[in-house]
Order: sequence, then C-alpha cells, then structure tokens
Amino acid sequence: MSTPGETVFVVDDDPAMRKSLSRLLRAAGHEALAFGGPEEFLRLVPADAWGCAILDVSMPGLDGLALQRELASRNSQISVVFLTGHGDIPKTVQAMKSGATDFLAKPVEETSLLLAVHRALDASRATRKARGEVADVERRLRTLTAREREVMELVAAGRLNKQIGRDLGIAESTVKIHRARVLEKMKAGSVAELVRLADQARAGRGRA
Amino acid sequence: MSWVTIVWLCAASACVTLAGVHLQIGLKQPRQFYLWFAVMGLSAAAVGGCELAVMRSETAAQIGLAVRWAHVPLFILFVSFLFFVRTYFRAGRSWLAWTILADRAVCLAINFIQSPNLTYSEITGVRRIAFLGETVSVPDGVVSPWARLGQIGSLLLLVFLADAAITVWRRGDRTRAVLVGSSAILYVLIAAGNSALVYAGRWRIPFLISVPFTVIVLAMAYQLGADVLRASELARSLGESERARHESDRRLAVAADATSLGFWVWDARTDDIWMTPRARGLRGFPADERIDLARFLSVVYPDDREALRKCLDAAARHGGTFDLVYRIVRPGDDPRWIQTRGAGEVDADAGSARVRAVSIDVTDRTLSEKEASLRKAEVIHLSRVRMLGELSGSLAHELNRPLATILTNAQAAQRLLEDPAGNAEEIRDILADVVEEDRRAGEVIQRLRRLMRRGEIHVEPLSLTSVVDEAVDLARSDLIARGVTASMESPDALPSVRGDRVQIQQVLLNLFTNACDAMGQVDGARRQLVVRLGHGDNGSVTVSVADRGPGILPTKLGQVFEPFVTTKETGMGLGLTVCQTIIEAHGGRIWADNGPDGGAVLSFTLPVAAPEGVS
Repeated sequence: MSTPGETVFVVDDDPAMRKSLSRLLRAAGHEALAFGGPEEFLRLVPADAWGCAILDVSMPGLDGLALQRELASRNSQISVVFLTGHGDIPKTVQAMKSGATDFLAKPVEETSLLLAVHRALDASRATRKARGEVADVERRLRTLTAREREVMELVAAGRLNKQIGRDLGIAESTVKIHRARVLEKMKAGSVAELVRLADQARAGRGRA
Repeated sequence: MSWVTIVWLCAASACVTLAGVHLQIGLKQPRQFYLWFAVMGLSAAAVGGCELAVMRSETAAQIGLAVRWAHVPLFILFVSFLFFVRTYFRAGRSWLAWTILADRAVCLAINFIQSPNLTYSEITGVRRIAFLGETVSVPDGVVSPWARLGQIGSLLLLVFLADAAITVWRRGDRTRAVLVGSSAILYVLIAAGNSALVYAGRWRIPFLISVPFTVIVLAMAYQLGADVLRASELARSLGESERARHESDRRLAVAADATSLGFWVWDARTDDIWMTPRARGLRGFPADERIDLARFLSVVYPDDREALRKCLDAAARHGGTFDLVYRIVRPGDDPRWIQTRGAGEVDADAGSARVRAVSIDVTDRTLSEKEASLRKAEVIHLSRVRMLGELSGSLAHELNRPLATILTNAQAAQRLLEDPAGNAEEIRDILADVVEEDRRAGEVIQRLRRLMRRGEIHVEPLSLTSVVDEAVDLARSDLIARGVTASMESPDALPSVRGDRVQIQQVLLNLFTNACDAMGQVDGARRQLVVRLGHGDNGSVTVSVADRGPGILPTKLGQVFEPFVTTKETGMGLGLTVCQTIIEAHGGRIWADNGPDGGAVLSFTLPVAAPEGVS
C-alpha cells in the first residue's frame, strides 16, 4: 500500500504491457500512471514528483536507460525499476550502477514486481525525507551569523571551548554564548546531534 | 549356201540368241516383258523357219502344210508382241489388243479347218522363182477370202502400235516412241505390204514376215539391252547408296547408342509400335514382342500415363511436335526418367497417322537436377535458420511480450476477484486482453514456424506491404535493441506479386540485418532504415532497403552478391548470395547501390501476380 500522493509511473512502448501493469498495480492499491515513452513521461511528469517509475529498457527513440540518466540529471526523487525482455547483462550492470532499485525480467511475477515497487517507493520516500531534512538544516544554517557558523564548525570538529576561544581570539565565555545560540538555532539537543546536522549540511552542499 | 539360207538362218539365230538372253533375265527378274520378249524372239525364229520351209517346198502339198504351220508361230508372235508392248511400254489400248488377239485366234482356227490353210483355199502348184540369186518355191493357187481376216489383224496391229507410239511420245519418252512407231511402219511396209501384194498375186516373192520382225526384235533388244545396262548401273549405284545407307545407319546407331537415344514409331492406324533395340531395352520389352500403345503405356508410371497418352493422341490426331518427361517402372528396378521428343504425321488422304519419336533416359540428369535444387533449398533453409539464430533474442522477446502481458493481466484479475465488490467489467476487459495477447503469441509462433519450415517454394500472390510489415515485426526487437528506427514508404495501389512469403521475408530480414550492421557505428539519430516499395519495369514491383551507414565502395558494388565476400568480422558472406538465389528463382533481380544521402540501398524486383491477384 502506498502512502497517498505516491505514484507508480509505468513507461512502456507496448500498450498492452503498460495497460496490464497499470491494472495490476491499481488492483494492488497503487496509484498508477502509464506513458507510451520516455518523451511523454518527461513532458507530463513534474520535475519534483516522487514515487516509482517502472521503465522498459528497450524502447524506440530514448530508451529506459536514457530516461534514467535524464531523471538523475534532473535530480529527481523518483526511484527507478527496470523491466526487460532481454535481461542482458551489460544493460543490467549499467542500470544498477546508475542507481536503479531493481531490474526485473519480463514476464514478471506479481510478488517480485510489487516487492520491487515497495522498495522503490521506500527509497523514494527516504530520498525525499533526506532531501527535506537537508533543506531544513540548510534553512537553520542560514539563520546563523558568520561567527556562530565558525563556532559550530569548530565544535563539530571536536574542539574544546577554550581552544575555540584561542582559535578565534575571543573569550571562552563568549564561545559558550555562541555555542548555546548555535544549538538553539540549529534545534540540536546535544553536541552529537549538531555534529550530525553539520555533516548532513555539508553532504547536501556537496550534492548540489 | 545361198543368201536366202544365210539371211533367214542369221535372222532366226539372232532371234533365238536374244530370246535366250532375255529368257534368262526374265526368269531371274519378276518383269513380264522379258519373258514376252523371249517368246517373241523364239516365235519370230519359228516363223522364219516356216518361211524357209515354204521356199524349199517341192510339192503343192508340202507348201500348203508349211504355210499352215507358219500360222502357229505367227499367232504366238502376235500374242507376245502385243503383251510385250503392253507390259514394256505400258501403252496401247487393251480393247484393241484383245480384238487383234481374237482376230488372230479366229484366223488360227480357220487355218486348221480350211484346207490347205488360212491363206489359200486351193494350192494348184509350186512356182519356182528367182529370189536373192537363188531359186525358191512360192505357192500357186486360189487366195482364200479369209486371208483378208489376217490382213485386218495386221492393220489393227498397225493402229495399235501407232496409238501406243503416240502415248509414249506424249509421255515424253521420245526414243521409245520412235522405236514403237518405226517398228509399226517397218512391219506395215514390209510384212503387211508384202503379204498383201503376194495375196493379190501382183508380186511373186516369198512371204517376208520373219525378216522385218527380226529387225523389230533387234531394235527392241537394243532398247532392252540399254535398259538392262541402266538397270545394272542403277543396281551398282543402289549398292553403293545401300552401303552408304548402312554406313550412315551404323553411324546413327553408334551416335544413338552413345547418347542413349531410342527411336520408335507408332502407327496409330494399326496400333503397332516399331522400336529400335535401345528403345525396347529402355522399357524392358523383349526384342520380338509386338508392342501396341496399351503395352507401351503399361510400363509408364501410373501418374504420368494419362499425360503421355494425351500427348501421343494429340500428335496422331493433329500432327505437331511434343516434348515430354515421364517415368517408367520396370519390375525390380527404380523408376527411370524418360524424355521423349516426337512429331505426329497425319495424312488424311492416305488415312494414316504416325508418331515418330526419340526417347532418352534422363534419370541421372533429372536426379542431379533434383539434388542440386534440393541442395540449393538446403542452403537457403540453413541460411534462414542461421539468420533466425542471429535474430533469436529479438524473436524470443517478441514472443515474451504477449506472455508477460498475459501473466500480468491474469494476476491483476486474481487480485480483483479477491475483492468481494469485484469489478466484473474490468475482469471482462482483462480476459479480452488475455485472449488478444494469446493470439498475438500464437501468430509469432506461426511466423517462426513458417520461417523454420523446410520445403519447397510455395508461390502465391502476396501483398508486399503485409510481407514487409511482418518482416519488420519479426525484426522489431532487434531493430530497437540496435537503436534503429524502421519505416516503410509505399504507393497506395501496389499490385500483388508472385512469391513465397517466407523466402521474401528471409530476403528482407537479411537486408535488415545488413542495414543494422552497417549502421552500428553511426550516430543514434541517423540510424534509420527505410523500406520503399514502388512500381518497377515490365510489370514488376521494386523493393529497396536503404540504410544510412557508410555505404558500399563503388568498386565493391558488383561483388557484394558473390559468395564469401563479406565486410563483417562474423558471418560467412553468404547472406546476399542466398538473397540473390531466392530473388532470381522468383524471376526477379537484385542489385546494390548507394543512396543519394549516403548509405547503401539494396533493391530487388518481383514479378506482379496475374491480374486477378491485384490488391
């Protein structure tokens, strides 16, 4: 069962195939949307959509792998599950390297399909959650003054208040005040949590 | 010896000699006129003998008897002379001849009834006269009125000979006409005139019948001699030509034997078939068996019998030539293939109808032709199987698609059925789709099975658009996997073509594979394959497969159809050779070219099907 708002996108050039997949997914309680090809999908699905995309590997024009690359370059939160009639190894390897959640061979068993969809939705959800947290941390980071950010980074680096005061040429008591304000602004209950948030923010900056 | 004795003896011996010679010839040859001539010579000699007896007679009784007996050889002389002219010159009116014979027969009868003979009713004495420096006897007495009957016979003979001479002259045989005519004149002048004068008592000389006859006999003998000479010449040249004919017969026999030809002639009227030993041997007939049509046909393979019978009947009825291949079965032997060429000769006037024919055993040739075509079919089949092997991934995928759809649909239906408020409408839709997809899978298998099929060409009217569509469908997954888009351009009204669907698809698939291979290194967007259909020359349809690859080197354009010529690392270089074999077997043409925007264009033509097949 998917959380409301979660969609399973089916992209296959074979109308009978995408129709039957949509049917099965709906019968299993998913929201399903079908597209005849990658171009149609890219045109109609908003960039910030999330959920699971079941892609046929071999399609005329842009194929499944090309669509996956395109989604990645758009920083999409949609997780990809591949379906193939060929099941050829090079494409599987390439697809998995590019971050596909699953690679299924046609004809696909209901249980494996639904399991793959679940995993993909979970992954999408996780991504979405991670993305949301990063955004939150970054928003909080932006409320810090320059001095507070310096203090935060040194705290995260494991420096003691006395050392930080010396590093920055300020009094230890002033460091303590900054530190308290950073913890408050970053909504961190402990130094350990602050360290994690700082890492997350760095990671978020790295990815963007 | 006196002149009379010398002349009469000479004449008589000449006649006897010639008679003897011609009797000999006449007995060996079935020609009547030689015998008649011999009789003529002998009777002329006998007449001469009687004349001599008359001239030597001493008493009236003696002379009367001599004259009486002279009429006997004279009668025979008339008979033989008439028959000789009739048989040798094939001239003279037969009623005239019979009239003369009747006249002479009556004369002969009177001759023996009346005393002393036909000519005289009474001989009073013997008169001695001088003749050729000698004293000879002539009768003296009363000439009988019946003597006129003999003269009528002589006159009729004159008419008969004159008529015969005219006939022969008209026939264009001048020499013989002169011979007959001059004999007649001679006979009339000397013999008839002589006897008339003697009877009239105006001229006292002996009867001179044998002498002119001797001249006639000599003249005839000359003619016969020339004929005998000509005949022997003819015989000699006949002998030579006979030898030449034997020689040519022998040569013909040698040639016929060398080529295994058997001659035979069917006389449709008598239903008799004459055959050379080879022709008999071919069919297993003994040398002395009489062969009629039923026996002739009895050894022919039952399936072929009716065709041969019809062929022979038609030739015997309307003439004309025929050429037919059929099988004959000899007991304990494999069927033999026989080719027979012949001609009918119909002569409606003569009521005859013959069929002359030559037969030859073509079993070895036929078998090797069959074997060659089998081998060709085998190569085509193997190359198709190989091509299918190359396409197998694609074909498996093509089969997988409907199966995958069916599975997914069925599982969706199972889920819907678990729901108590199940949506029956949706389930019906699903089942309809399952049926549809199952049919699709069936079609793929059907197509595959056709392509895998081994066997003879099955030629039928084909819609090329559907053939191309199917081929593109079969190669679809392969095309997609290789990133090639395929399209077809066709005019609206394209006639059907005659061909074998599977083999044409084999050619197309082969050309598709080549096109895809050629575009392997080409930028994705350029990987386009276009199949163009169009009208060709002389009622054909053209199919071209164009790719956008690097094209074919102009120097290599002519070589691409040669076997084992390939630009690929894998592959035998037989694909296009097989394509060429297939297209040419269909009566079409295949060629390679380069397109205007680069890339190779492989085109072929196929003959349009009969008008009723127009789609």
